[in-house]
Amino acid sequence: MIKRTLYFGNPAYLKARDEQMVIEYPGGDTESKSIPIEDIGVVILDSPQITITHVLLNKLLENNAAVITTNERHMPSGLLYPLESNTLQSERFAVQLTASVPLKKQLWQQTVQTKIQNQAALLKSVGVDVEPMLYWARSVRSGDPDNYEGRAAAYYWKNLYMGYINDIIFTRGRNEDEPNNLLNYGYAILRAVVARSLVASGLLPTLGIHHHNRYNAFCLADDIMEPYRPFVDKVVLEIVKEGLDYTQLTKEIKAKLLVIPAMDVKIDGKSSPLMIATQRTTASLYNCFNGASRKMLYPTFS
Amino acid sequence: MTTLNRLNQYRVMWVLVFFDLPTETKKERKQYALFRKNLLKDGFSMFQFSIYTRCCPSRENADVHIKRVKSFLPPNGYVGILCITDKQFGSMELFLSTKPIKASTEPQQLELF
Repeated sequence: MIKRTLYFGNPAYLKARDEQMVIEYPGGDTESKSIPIEDIGVVILDSPQITITHVLLNKLLENNAAVITTNERHMPSGLLYPLESNTLQSERFAVQLTASVPLKKQLWQQTVQTKIQNQAALLKSVGVDVEPMLYWARSVRSGDPDNYEGRAAAYYWKNLYMGYINDIIFTRGRNEDEPNNLLNYGYAILRAVVARSLVASGLLPTLGIHHHNRYNAFCLADDIMEPYRPFVDKVVLEIVKEGLDYTQLTKEIKAKLLVIPAMDVKIDGKSSPLMIATQRTTASLYNCFNGASRKMLYPTFS
Repeated sequence: MTTLNRLNQYRVMWVLVFFDLPTETKKERKQYALFRKNLLKDGFSMFQFSIYTRCCPSRENADVHIKRVKSFLPPNGYVGILCITDKQFGSMELFLSTKPIKASTEPQQLELF
Protein backbone atom coordinates (compact mmCIF):
# COMPACT_ATOMS: atom_id res chain seq x y z
CA MET A 1 0.00 0.00 0.00
CA ILE A 2 1.21 3.45 -0.80
CA LYS A 3 1.78 5.47 2.34
CA ARG A 4 1.38 9.19 2.67
CA THR A 5 4.11 11.82 2.81
CA LEU A 6 3.48 14.77 5.10
CA TYR A 7 5.56 17.91 4.94
CA PHE A 8 5.33 20.57 7.64
CA GLY A 9 6.77 23.90 6.60
CA ASN A 10 4.66 26.10 8.85
CA PRO A 11 4.19 26.42 12.62
CA ALA A 12 2.05 23.56 13.90
CA TYR A 13 1.21 21.57 16.99
CA LEU A 14 1.33 17.87 16.30
CA LYS A 15 -0.19 15.40 18.69
CA ALA A 16 -1.87 12.02 18.79
CA ARG A 17 -5.48 11.31 19.57
CA ASP A 18 -7.32 8.04 18.95
CA GLU A 19 -4.43 6.65 16.86
CA GLN A 20 -4.69 9.70 14.62
CA MET A 21 -2.17 12.43 14.10
CA VAL A 22 -3.86 15.71 14.92
CA ILE A 23 -2.54 18.89 13.36
CA GLU A 24 -3.41 22.12 15.08
CA TYR A 25 -2.31 25.58 14.17
CA PRO A 26 -1.19 28.16 16.69
CA GLY A 27 -3.80 30.83 17.17
CA GLY A 28 -6.47 28.26 16.54
CA ASP A 29 -8.24 30.09 13.72
CA THR A 30 -7.61 27.32 11.21
CA GLU A 31 -9.47 24.10 11.74
CA SER A 32 -7.43 21.19 13.01
CA LYS A 33 -6.90 18.12 10.83
CA SER A 34 -6.43 14.49 11.65
CA ILE A 35 -4.68 11.78 9.70
CA PRO A 36 -4.56 8.06 10.52
CA ILE A 37 -1.03 7.33 11.77
CA GLU A 38 -1.02 3.92 10.11
CA ASP A 39 -1.38 5.58 6.69
CA ILE A 40 1.74 7.72 7.11
CA GLY A 41 5.01 6.77 5.46
CA VAL A 42 7.20 9.86 5.69
CA VAL A 43 6.95 12.94 7.92
CA ILE A 44 9.18 15.92 7.21
CA LEU A 45 9.47 18.52 9.95
CA ASP A 46 10.74 21.68 8.31
CA SER A 47 9.85 24.59 10.53
CA PRO A 48 11.51 25.68 13.77
CA GLN A 49 8.06 26.30 15.19
CA ILE A 50 6.75 22.77 15.25
CA THR A 51 5.82 21.21 18.56
CA ILE A 52 5.42 17.46 18.56
CA THR A 53 4.37 15.27 21.44
CA HIS A 54 6.30 12.27 22.61
CA VAL A 55 3.26 10.03 22.26
CA LEU A 56 2.95 10.97 18.61
CA LEU A 57 6.65 10.38 17.93
CA ASN A 58 6.38 6.98 19.53
CA LYS A 59 3.29 6.07 17.54
CA LEU A 60 4.90 7.19 14.31
CA LEU A 61 7.86 4.93 15.02
CA GLU A 62 5.59 2.04 15.97
CA ASN A 63 3.98 2.37 12.58
CA ASN A 64 7.37 2.48 10.91
CA ALA A 65 7.09 6.00 9.55
CA ALA A 66 10.31 7.78 8.66
CA VAL A 67 10.52 11.06 10.57
CA ILE A 68 12.91 13.53 8.98
CA THR A 69 14.07 16.72 10.66
CA THR A 70 15.72 19.59 8.86
CA ASN A 71 18.27 22.21 9.78
CA GLU A 72 18.13 25.99 9.44
CA ARG A 73 19.00 25.72 5.75
CA HIS A 74 15.95 23.47 5.32
CA MET A 75 18.13 20.53 4.37
CA PRO A 76 17.32 17.18 5.97
CA SER A 77 19.56 16.79 9.02
CA GLY A 78 18.22 13.77 10.82
CA LEU A 79 16.20 10.62 10.39
CA LEU A 80 14.36 8.80 13.12
CA TYR A 81 13.68 5.14 12.59
CA PRO A 82 12.41 2.39 14.85
CA LEU A 83 14.74 0.08 16.75
CA GLU A 84 12.31 -2.74 16.44
CA SER A 85 10.15 -3.04 13.42
CA ASN A 86 10.61 -6.58 12.26
CA THR A 87 9.67 -9.48 14.49
CA LEU A 88 12.58 -11.58 13.29
CA GLN A 89 15.05 -8.79 13.84
CA SER A 90 17.86 -10.59 15.69
CA GLU A 91 17.75 -13.55 13.30
CA ARG A 92 17.89 -11.21 10.33
CA PHE A 93 20.69 -9.12 11.79
CA ALA A 94 22.67 -12.30 12.32
CA VAL A 95 22.19 -13.37 8.71
CA GLN A 96 23.24 -9.94 7.52
CA LEU A 97 26.31 -9.83 9.76
CA THR A 98 27.55 -13.23 8.60
CA ALA A 99 27.06 -12.56 4.88
CA SER A 100 30.20 -13.66 3.05
CA VAL A 101 32.51 -11.24 1.31
CA PRO A 102 32.01 -12.85 -2.15
CA LEU A 103 28.25 -12.53 -1.75
CA LYS A 104 28.51 -8.87 -0.80
CA LYS A 105 30.79 -8.28 -3.77
CA GLN A 106 28.32 -9.93 -6.11
CA LEU A 107 25.47 -7.86 -4.72
CA TRP A 108 27.57 -4.73 -5.23
CA GLN A 109 28.23 -5.82 -8.81
CA GLN A 110 24.50 -6.07 -9.47
CA THR A 111 23.93 -2.74 -7.78
CA VAL A 112 26.53 -0.93 -9.86
CA GLN A 113 25.35 -2.57 -13.05
CA THR A 114 21.77 -1.48 -12.51
CA LYS A 115 22.87 1.98 -11.47
CA ILE A 116 24.91 2.48 -14.65
CA GLN A 117 22.10 1.09 -16.80
CA ASN A 118 19.60 3.43 -15.18
CA GLN A 119 21.95 6.37 -15.58
CA ALA A 120 22.42 5.41 -19.21
CA ALA A 121 18.67 5.27 -19.79
CA LEU A 122 18.26 8.77 -18.39
CA LEU A 123 21.17 10.08 -20.46
CA LYS A 124 19.68 8.49 -23.54
CA SER A 125 16.42 10.33 -22.95
CA VAL A 126 18.25 13.65 -23.21
CA GLY A 127 20.00 12.53 -26.38
CA VAL A 128 23.50 11.70 -25.18
CA ASP A 129 25.53 8.84 -26.67
CA VAL A 130 25.34 6.07 -24.09
CA GLU A 131 27.49 3.43 -25.79
CA PRO A 132 30.35 3.82 -23.28
CA MET A 133 27.92 3.65 -20.37
CA LEU A 134 26.44 0.40 -21.62
CA TYR A 135 29.93 -0.98 -22.17
CA TRP A 136 30.90 -0.11 -18.59
CA ALA A 137 27.69 -1.64 -17.26
CA ARG A 138 28.50 -4.89 -19.06
CA SER A 139 32.08 -4.93 -17.84
CA VAL A 140 31.41 -4.52 -14.12
CA ARG A 141 33.05 -7.40 -12.29
CA SER A 142 32.27 -8.76 -8.85
CA GLY A 143 32.90 -5.99 -6.31
CA ASP A 144 33.56 -3.50 -9.12
CA PRO A 145 37.37 -3.55 -8.67
CA ASP A 146 37.86 -1.45 -11.81
CA ASN A 147 35.60 1.27 -10.39
CA TYR A 148 33.36 1.47 -13.42
CA GLU A 149 30.87 3.14 -11.12
CA GLY A 150 33.15 6.16 -10.83
CA ARG A 151 33.95 6.25 -14.53
CA ALA A 152 30.29 6.09 -15.43
CA ALA A 153 29.44 8.77 -12.88
CA ALA A 154 32.03 11.14 -14.31
CA TYR A 155 30.64 10.69 -17.81
CA TYR A 156 27.07 10.90 -16.57
CA TRP A 157 27.42 14.15 -14.63
CA LYS A 158 29.44 15.74 -17.39
CA ASN A 159 26.62 15.19 -19.86
CA LEU A 160 23.37 15.09 -17.92
CA TYR A 161 22.70 18.78 -17.41
CA MET A 162 24.68 19.87 -20.49
CA GLY A 163 22.69 22.43 -22.42
CA TYR A 164 20.26 23.09 -19.58
CA ILE A 165 22.60 24.92 -17.26
CA ASN A 166 24.30 27.73 -19.08
CA ASP A 167 27.69 29.33 -18.60
CA ILE A 168 28.91 26.93 -15.93
CA ILE A 169 30.00 23.35 -16.15
CA PHE A 170 27.99 21.26 -13.75
CA THR A 171 29.93 19.51 -11.01
CA ARG A 172 28.21 17.08 -8.75
CA GLY A 173 29.13 17.53 -5.12
CA ARG A 174 27.49 18.11 -1.81
CA ASN A 175 28.55 21.75 -1.52
CA GLU A 176 28.75 22.67 -5.19
CA ASP A 177 26.51 25.07 -7.08
CA GLU A 178 22.86 24.58 -7.95
CA PRO A 179 21.08 22.35 -8.79
CA ASN A 180 23.14 20.31 -6.33
CA ASN A 181 20.91 21.62 -3.56
CA LEU A 182 17.92 19.99 -5.25
CA LEU A 183 19.81 16.75 -5.73
CA ASN A 184 20.88 16.70 -2.08
CA TYR A 185 17.32 17.25 -0.97
CA GLY A 186 15.96 14.57 -3.27
CA TYR A 187 18.62 12.08 -2.22
CA ALA A 188 17.89 12.76 1.45
CA ILE A 189 14.24 11.89 0.88
CA LEU A 190 15.23 8.82 -1.09
CA ARG A 191 17.65 7.77 1.64
CA ALA A 192 14.92 8.05 4.26
CA VAL A 193 12.58 5.94 2.15
CA VAL A 194 15.26 3.29 1.61
CA ALA A 195 16.29 3.27 5.29
CA ARG A 196 12.65 2.83 6.23
CA SER A 197 12.31 -0.15 3.91
CA LEU A 198 15.53 -1.68 5.24
CA VAL A 199 14.42 -1.59 8.85
CA ALA A 200 11.03 -2.92 7.79
CA SER A 201 12.84 -5.91 6.25
CA GLY A 202 14.72 -6.43 9.51
CA LEU A 203 18.11 -5.29 8.22
CA LEU A 204 20.63 -2.94 9.77
CA PRO A 205 20.92 0.18 7.63
CA THR A 206 24.35 0.84 9.12
CA LEU A 207 26.27 -2.13 7.81
CA GLY A 208 26.80 -1.72 4.10
CA ILE A 209 27.70 -4.16 1.34
CA HIS A 210 30.15 -1.70 -0.20
CA HIS A 211 30.07 1.65 1.61
CA HIS A 212 31.97 1.40 4.87
CA ASN A 213 32.71 4.93 5.98
CA ARG A 214 33.10 4.67 9.74
CA TYR A 215 31.24 7.95 10.21
CA ASN A 216 28.27 7.00 8.09
CA ALA A 217 25.30 5.48 9.92
CA PHE A 218 23.48 4.60 6.72
CA CYS A 219 25.99 2.66 4.65
CA LEU A 220 23.54 0.00 3.56
CA ALA A 221 20.90 2.58 2.68
CA ASP A 222 23.50 4.38 0.60
CA ASP A 223 24.37 1.13 -1.20
CA ILE A 224 20.80 0.17 -1.95
CA MET A 225 19.72 3.60 -3.11
CA GLU A 226 22.37 3.81 -5.83
CA PRO A 227 20.19 2.42 -8.66
CA TYR A 228 17.37 4.68 -7.50
CA ARG A 229 19.38 7.90 -7.76
CA PRO A 230 18.69 8.45 -11.48
CA PHE A 231 14.99 8.76 -10.65
CA VAL A 232 15.80 11.75 -8.44
CA ASP A 233 18.12 13.09 -11.14
CA LYS A 234 15.24 12.92 -13.56
CA VAL A 235 12.92 14.93 -11.31
CA VAL A 236 15.65 17.55 -10.87
CA LEU A 237 16.27 17.57 -14.60
CA GLU A 238 12.60 18.29 -15.21
CA ILE A 239 12.69 21.17 -12.72
CA VAL A 240 15.78 22.59 -14.46
CA LYS A 241 14.19 22.14 -17.87
CA GLU A 242 11.06 23.97 -16.79
CA GLY A 243 13.22 27.01 -16.21
CA LEU A 244 12.15 27.52 -12.61
CA ASP A 245 14.42 29.51 -10.36
CA TYR A 246 16.02 26.68 -8.45
CA THR A 247 18.63 28.66 -6.54
CA GLN A 248 16.25 28.60 -3.59
CA LEU A 249 14.36 25.58 -2.35
CA THR A 250 10.90 27.04 -2.66
CA LYS A 251 7.74 25.33 -1.57
CA GLU A 252 6.86 24.67 -5.19
CA ILE A 253 10.16 22.92 -5.84
CA LYS A 254 9.93 20.92 -2.64
CA ALA A 255 6.47 19.75 -3.62
CA LYS A 256 7.95 18.44 -6.86
CA LEU A 257 10.80 16.69 -5.05
CA LEU A 258 8.51 15.18 -2.45
CA VAL A 259 6.65 13.30 -5.15
CA ILE A 260 9.70 11.03 -5.33
CA PRO A 261 8.31 8.35 -2.95
CA ALA A 262 5.17 8.05 -5.11
CA MET A 263 7.00 8.15 -8.43
CA ASP A 264 6.39 5.35 -10.86
CA VAL A 265 9.27 2.96 -11.33
CA LYS A 266 9.45 -0.28 -13.21
CA ILE A 267 10.49 -3.24 -11.10
CA ASP A 268 10.30 -6.91 -12.03
CA GLY A 269 8.41 -5.99 -15.20
CA LYS A 270 5.69 -4.10 -13.37
CA SER A 271 5.12 -0.45 -12.61
CA SER A 272 4.91 0.42 -8.98
CA PRO A 273 5.42 3.46 -6.76
CA LEU A 274 9.03 3.95 -5.71
CA MET A 275 8.21 3.45 -2.03
CA ILE A 276 6.82 0.00 -2.79
CA ALA A 277 9.75 -0.82 -5.07
CA THR A 278 12.27 -0.09 -2.30
CA GLN A 279 10.44 -2.53 -0.08
CA ARG A 280 10.73 -5.21 -2.74
CA THR A 281 14.40 -4.41 -3.14
CA THR A 282 15.13 -4.74 0.57
CA ALA A 283 13.10 -7.93 0.80
CA SER A 284 15.13 -9.38 -2.08
CA LEU A 285 18.33 -8.26 -0.33
CA TYR A 286 17.36 -10.25 2.73
CA ASN A 287 16.67 -13.26 0.52
CA CYS A 288 20.20 -12.90 -0.84
CA PHE A 289 21.68 -12.69 2.65
CA ASN A 290 19.91 -15.83 3.82
CA GLY A 291 20.81 -17.77 0.69
CA ALA A 292 17.34 -18.11 -0.83
CA SER A 293 18.32 -16.14 -3.90
CA ARG A 294 21.34 -14.64 -5.58
CA LYS A 295 19.62 -11.85 -7.41
CA MET A 296 18.49 -8.52 -6.14
CA LEU A 297 15.38 -6.84 -7.44
CA TYR A 298 16.13 -3.37 -8.68
CA PRO A 299 13.99 -0.99 -10.68
CA THR A 300 14.83 -0.34 -14.30
CA PHE A 301 14.64 3.10 -15.74
CA SER A 302 12.43 3.51 -18.75
CA MET B 1 0.36 20.10 -7.17
CA THR B 2 0.98 17.22 -9.48
CA THR B 3 -1.70 14.68 -8.83
CA LEU B 4 -0.51 11.28 -9.78
CA ASN B 5 -3.21 9.93 -11.99
CA ARG B 6 -1.70 6.52 -11.85
CA LEU B 7 -2.51 6.29 -8.18
CA ASN B 8 -6.06 5.84 -9.37
CA GLN B 9 -4.96 2.44 -10.48
CA TYR B 10 -4.76 1.79 -6.78
CA ARG B 11 -8.52 2.23 -6.72
CA VAL B 12 -9.08 4.74 -3.99
CA MET B 13 -12.08 3.46 -2.05
CA TRP B 14 -14.33 4.98 0.57
CA VAL B 15 -15.69 2.83 3.35
CA LEU B 16 -18.95 4.01 4.89
CA VAL B 17 -20.31 2.67 8.16
CA PHE B 18 -23.93 3.36 9.09
CA PHE B 19 -25.29 2.36 12.43
CA ASP B 20 -28.35 2.47 14.61
CA LEU B 21 -27.47 1.37 18.10
CA PRO B 22 -29.79 1.08 21.09
CA THR B 23 -29.04 3.49 23.92
CA GLU B 24 -31.71 2.45 26.38
CA THR B 25 -29.56 1.11 29.18
CA LYS B 26 -26.27 2.27 30.58
CA LYS B 27 -24.56 -0.83 29.21
CA GLU B 28 -25.86 -0.18 25.71
CA ARG B 29 -24.70 3.42 25.84
CA LYS B 30 -21.27 2.21 26.83
CA GLN B 31 -21.19 -0.25 23.95
CA TYR B 32 -22.28 2.50 21.60
CA ALA B 33 -19.54 4.84 22.84
CA LEU B 34 -16.93 2.13 22.50
CA PHE B 35 -17.97 1.32 18.94
CA ARG B 36 -17.80 4.97 17.97
CA LYS B 37 -14.39 5.34 19.64
CA ASN B 38 -13.09 2.29 17.79
CA LEU B 39 -14.25 3.79 14.50
CA LEU B 40 -12.36 6.99 15.28
CA LYS B 41 -9.27 4.99 16.22
CA ASP B 42 -9.41 3.21 12.91
CA GLY B 43 -9.28 6.53 11.08
CA PHE B 44 -12.97 6.99 10.36
CA SER B 45 -14.41 10.45 10.63
CA MET B 46 -17.96 11.54 11.18
CA PHE B 47 -19.87 12.31 8.02
CA GLN B 48 -23.24 12.66 9.73
CA PHE B 49 -24.46 11.44 13.10
CA SER B 50 -24.12 7.66 12.92
CA ILE B 51 -22.53 7.72 9.44
CA TYR B 52 -18.76 7.44 9.42
CA THR B 53 -16.44 7.43 6.42
CA ARG B 54 -12.85 6.53 5.74
CA CYS B 55 -10.79 6.96 2.60
CA CYS B 56 -8.63 3.96 1.76
CA PRO B 57 -5.86 4.15 -0.85
CA SER B 58 -6.62 0.71 -2.27
CA ARG B 59 -9.21 -1.99 -2.34
CA GLU B 60 -6.98 -4.25 -0.28
CA ASN B 61 -6.64 -1.54 2.32
CA ALA B 62 -10.40 -1.05 2.35
CA ASP B 63 -10.80 -4.78 3.01
CA VAL B 64 -8.49 -4.43 6.01
CA HIS B 65 -10.63 -1.70 7.52
CA ILE B 66 -13.91 -3.48 6.77
CA LYS B 67 -12.53 -6.53 8.51
CA ARG B 68 -11.47 -4.39 11.45
CA VAL B 69 -14.92 -2.82 11.79
CA LYS B 70 -16.41 -6.31 11.78
CA SER B 71 -14.04 -7.26 14.59
CA PHE B 72 -15.45 -4.62 16.95
CA LEU B 73 -19.15 -4.72 16.07
CA PRO B 74 -21.40 -3.94 19.03
CA PRO B 75 -23.40 -6.91 20.39
CA ASN B 76 -26.74 -5.19 19.71
CA GLY B 77 -27.76 -2.83 16.97
CA TYR B 78 -27.99 -2.46 13.23
CA VAL B 79 -24.77 -1.71 11.33
CA GLY B 80 -24.22 -1.29 7.59
CA ILE B 81 -20.81 -1.29 5.91
CA LEU B 82 -20.57 0.01 2.36
CA CYS B 83 -17.52 0.29 0.16
CA ILE B 84 -17.63 2.58 -2.88
CA THR B 85 -15.08 3.96 -5.30
CA ASP B 86 -13.74 7.47 -5.01
CA LYS B 87 -15.56 8.38 -8.22
CA GLN B 88 -18.88 7.28 -6.84
CA PHE B 89 -18.25 9.08 -3.57
CA GLY B 90 -17.19 12.19 -5.45
CA SER B 91 -20.42 12.25 -7.47
CA MET B 92 -22.48 12.57 -4.31
CA GLU B 93 -24.46 15.79 -4.14
CA LEU B 94 -24.43 17.60 -0.83
CA PHE B 95 -26.65 20.41 0.36
CA LEU B 96 -26.63 22.69 3.34
CA SER B 97 -30.11 24.16 3.65
CA THR B 98 -30.80 23.83 -0.08
CA LYS B 99 -27.44 25.37 -0.93
CA PRO B 100 -25.11 22.93 -2.68
CA ILE B 101 -21.78 22.47 -0.84
CA LYS B 102 -18.55 20.80 -1.82
CA ALA B 103 -17.80 17.30 -0.65
CA SER B 104 -14.52 16.54 1.10
CA THR B 105 -12.02 15.23 -1.39
CA GLU B 106 -9.71 12.30 -0.95
CA PRO B 107 -6.49 13.02 0.92
CA GLN B 108 -3.47 13.51 -1.31
CA GLN B 109 -0.55 11.14 -1.20
CA LEU B 110 1.64 14.16 -0.54
CA GLU B 111 0.43 16.94 1.71
CA LEU B 112 2.18 20.17 2.54
CA PHE B 113 1.17 21.93 5.72
